[in-house]
Amino acid sequence: MSEKARVLIIDDDPDFVDGIRGVLEAAGYQVDAVYNPKAGFEALKRRPPDLLLLDILMGRGAEGVMLARKMRKDPQLSQIPTLIITGLREQIAFLFPGQAVHPHILAVDELMEKPVDPQLLLDRVKALLDAAARRRVAG
Amino acid sequence: MKAYSYFPGCSLERMAASYRLSAAETARALGVELRELEDWNCCGATAYFHIDELLAATLCARNLAMAEQEGLDLVTPCSGCYKNMYFTRAHLREDPDLAEHVNTALAEDGLQFRGTVQVRHLIEVLVQDVGLPEIKKRVTHPLRGLRVAPYYGCQILRPRKGREDDEQPRFFEDLLTTIGASPVDFPLRDRCCGGSLIVTHRQAALSMAYALLQDAIDHEAEVIATVCPLCQVNLECYQRHVNRTFGTNFGLPVLYFTQLLGLALGIPSQRLGIGKELISPAPVLARVGG
Amino acid sequence: MARTLTFEQEIANLFYAMDSNPVQACIQCGICSGTCPAVAFMQHSPRAIIAMIRAGQKKAVLASNTYWACASCYACSVKCPQGIDVAAMMYGLKRYSLWRNHYRTVPLGADFSRRFVRLITKYGRSYEPGLAAPYVLRHGFRGLLDEIRTALGLLRKGRLPLLPHRIKRAESLRRVIWQILPVGGRA
Repeated sequence: MSEKARVLIIDDDPDFVDGIRGVLEAAGYQVDAVYNPKAGFEALKRRPPDLLLLDILMGRGAEGVMLARKMRKDPQLSQIPTLIITGLREQIAFLFPGQAVHPHILAVDELMEKPVDPQLLLDRVKALLDAAARRRVAG
Repeated sequence: MKAYSYFPGCSLERMAASYRLSAAETARALGVELRELEDWNCCGATAYFHIDELLAATLCARNLAMAEQEGLDLVTPCSGCYKNMYFTRAHLREDPDLAEHVNTALAEDGLQFRGTVQVRHLIEVLVQDVGLPEIKKRVTHPLRGLRVAPYYGCQILRPRKGREDDEQPRFFEDLLTTIGASPVDFPLRDRCCGGSLIVTHRQAALSMAYALLQDAIDHEAEVIATVCPLCQVNLECYQRHVNRTFGTNFGLPVLYFTQLLGLALGIPSQRLGIGKELISPAPVLARVGG
Repeated sequence: MARTLTFEQEIANLFYAMDSNPVQACIQCGICSGTCPAVAFMQHSPRAIIAMIRAGQKKAVLASNTYWACASCYACSVKCPQGIDVAAMMYGLKRYSLWRNHYRTVPLGADFSRRFVRLITKYGRSYEPGLAAPYVLRHGFRGLLDEIRTALGLLRKGRLPLLPHRIKRAESLRRVIWQILPVGGRA
């Protein structure tokens, strides 16, 4: 890839965003971040990124799920590879303890739980971007 | 006979059984048919909003969608349920994305929210739809001289729902006057009873209940009338705790407005659930022939 | 795009969907504190909490009991001359602290919320003894005696439910909830 791949982060936690932004930028990605789901959707529409990192619990509640559903219906956004990075399971473990979370709403969505291991994150990001590139060639 | 979908709310099943009985009896006597929603679920009270407002909206929307299937407006006697369902309806109508998200979830239960249902509080339906003149015609046992503190509480007035006067409401006083009672001046009538702080911050809730009880006593009320089961529990069931904490000796009965209304309509007190109180209203009611 | 976010902006983000002004509009008039029936039990008044949010005092705000002492009576919200929904902001703070596990300093309100939500996801309806019983020991010995006397009184009058009522379609309610909060495996 000649141009830097663009990654958009939608997550309400500034400490977490600062952390993974550093990791991704050091690996050569161009990173933008927005901190609430409404501004997040606007940023997606304005300039669809190559990859989206999406949080679940933000704003009023599990708005990441709502945002993913909205993306699915939008032809411009439905194919953006998305890595859902969430602490949801731990955040509401009191409700449904000990079980995995994966809504599978978008065409390509994968799930990673916080806290995130930097190398694992880079591997997953690269794999998702490579797969998207292969789909573009094939398509 | 005008019909409504009816959402009693969790408290009315047992804790506020007398509200359930008296609401049913007075509604029937006034020609209002309350058809209980089948398999309704909890409105989320106040606690759901701490976790996820989208979930809170979804829980309320399930009830709203079931009422829409019946094609009837939704009436509830609980101020908390009223506020939650009223604002869920408003938020879903204003936010199509949210409505669609919630509807995706409701589809799992074969339901859909369209936004056609209206949400009403029982006192509003009786005062506005039946109307005070009609109620007056049916009063057979006016509660002459009974000094009642009309306790509005919070959620029926706040947040503002856009059509009522939250600063100087009169409807409760007017209803009491209509049934022959004497509403006392009750400056704290719209101040909070403590709500769920009774569980999570006992000291704060008791002090809030104390302020209300003292205000009612200072204005020579013989009974407090409420429109909400939680207010009734905080003011009546915890009056003993208030007394011990503040060194007071209150023994002020707290009845649901439907119980007083029912008595005035000539319904026997037992059918209104009178007798289920921890602080008996019998001595006070005996004076007015209740 | 800003590289970091102030605490005030974080709170505004919790608030973004509200049909009211964010806290930036506050003029520190103190009407919210004046109308609050629980203010005497708050470590910082509502007005002070807003000032602290604006000053970026995240730790002190989250460590305070103020938002858990809010009874959600909305007296502040309807009186605010700047149209700030202060009660909704308190809900926002509860949410924020629960999500980030800051609640441990003032656990009762948070614990109650969790217990409540668990009850509803299981049964579909609320159940007073299940909510209140775990806390009776927190009210001291005299408090416990009062509690027992009240409970016995209610029991005698048939006002105490002995078992929670489970709605008929509890299973499909669980699936509905899963669509909003996808946790715990698909029902």
